[in-house]
Amino acid sequence: SRRGPSASRTSRRGPPAADPERIQRLRSLMVNASPEQEAAEGGAAARRRRAPRNVLTRMPLHEGSPLGELHRCVRDGVKINVHIRTFKGLRGVCTGFLVAFDKFWNMALTDVDETYRKPVMGKAFYAEPQLTLTRLFDRLKLQQSSAKKGADSKTASEELALTKDSQALGLKTGSGRGRAEDERERQKRLGRAGEKKVTGDTLHLTARGEADVGSGTAHTEGASAGSTRARSQSRKKRQPKVDYQQVFTRHINQIFIRGENVLLVHLAH
Amino acid sequence: MEVSHSVKERTIAENSLVILLQGLHGHVTTVDMRDESTATGRITNVDAFMNVRLAEVTFTDRQGTVSHLDEFFVTGRNVRYVHIPDEVDIRATIEQQLQAIRRIRYFGGRDKGRKEFPRAKHK
Repeated sequence: SRRGPSASRTSRRGPPAADPERIQRLRSLMVNASPEQEAAEGGAAARRRRAPRNVLTRMPLHEGSPLGELHRCVRDGVKINVHIRTFKGLRGVCTGFLVAFDKFWNMALTDVDETYRKPVMGKAFYAEPQLTLTRLFDRLKLQQSSAKKGADSKTASEELALTKDSQALGLKTGSGRGRAEDERERQKRLGRAGEKKVTGDTLHLTARGEADVGSGTAHTEGASAGSTRARSQSRKKRQPKVDYQQVFTRHINQIFIRGENVLLVHLAH
Repeated sequence: MEVSHSVKERTIAENSLVILLQGLHGHVTTVDMRDESTATGRITNVDAFMNVRLAEVTFTDRQGTVSHLDEFFVTGRNVRYVHIPDEVDIRATIEQQLQAIRRIRYFGGRDKGRKEFPRAKHK
């Protein structure tokens, strides 16, 4: 029967016992008479009436669609940033090289640096403002730079100014320009900020400021950013207590991401 | 090669990246779940819906509590990441799994047995 031999094949690891008669019998049953032939079979469609359709052959088929862009990343080895989502909002970013993908946006990445933040729990969960990409990315990068550098109270005000600027920028450009451009702007700005040291208080401030904004639309963002700054001056002495806002970074050599968790894919130039 | 016995699961696996995970049978890996918990263990089985069975598992729940489990099962939807061991070649593993499927599908020869994709019959 069909099942029997295949079951034995799956239960064995190495080649079966070398019984020439048995091998002959099996050979006659198998479509492919030898392993070499089988390997060559993958290229030649001689025995197949139809072209094989599997995950690898489907990858180039998406030409012209966003998935086609993904295929270009695979082909050309473009580094990509995959934004990962949590149930509510952005969890973090994985940057790496794409090896394979499929229609569900499941992705296999190599040489991955993941920057992420554990989801917010408790009271802050309810107070957290509505997700916007720019705002959360802003916070992510901000915390990232603060997580990496040490504390310096002097530059706290500079950082605050920057935060306010970014938020104001978000206000102005949120409607106008594309989000991707916004991001890059933000990254540029925060790249400069990253060079300066940031306090843990600023971290605290940002979280508090955004919590206060509430269900924050872009308009209220700019308005309360100013008041936030004033409030922050008094909070400078306070120890950072927002542990759950801490950003983690890790390097993973090879990872598989389930497509459901992908927020967006950003090609890094 | 542990290919599923179900034709439906085979085709689902063949056309998606789950097949890469199926190629990881027997490897020790970490599965990160949607709720931030992680399980590290040896993959026993992955089906077409990405349901993963692990054995000899160190399970870290989202609070950080570590526990050891003999067997572990997670629903496909709750998987977020699967770490792939360094020694695994992604492309090659996919190819091997696809070959295993092809081998099973075309088993029995051209003119024998019930076929998965029946050829056009001549009148």
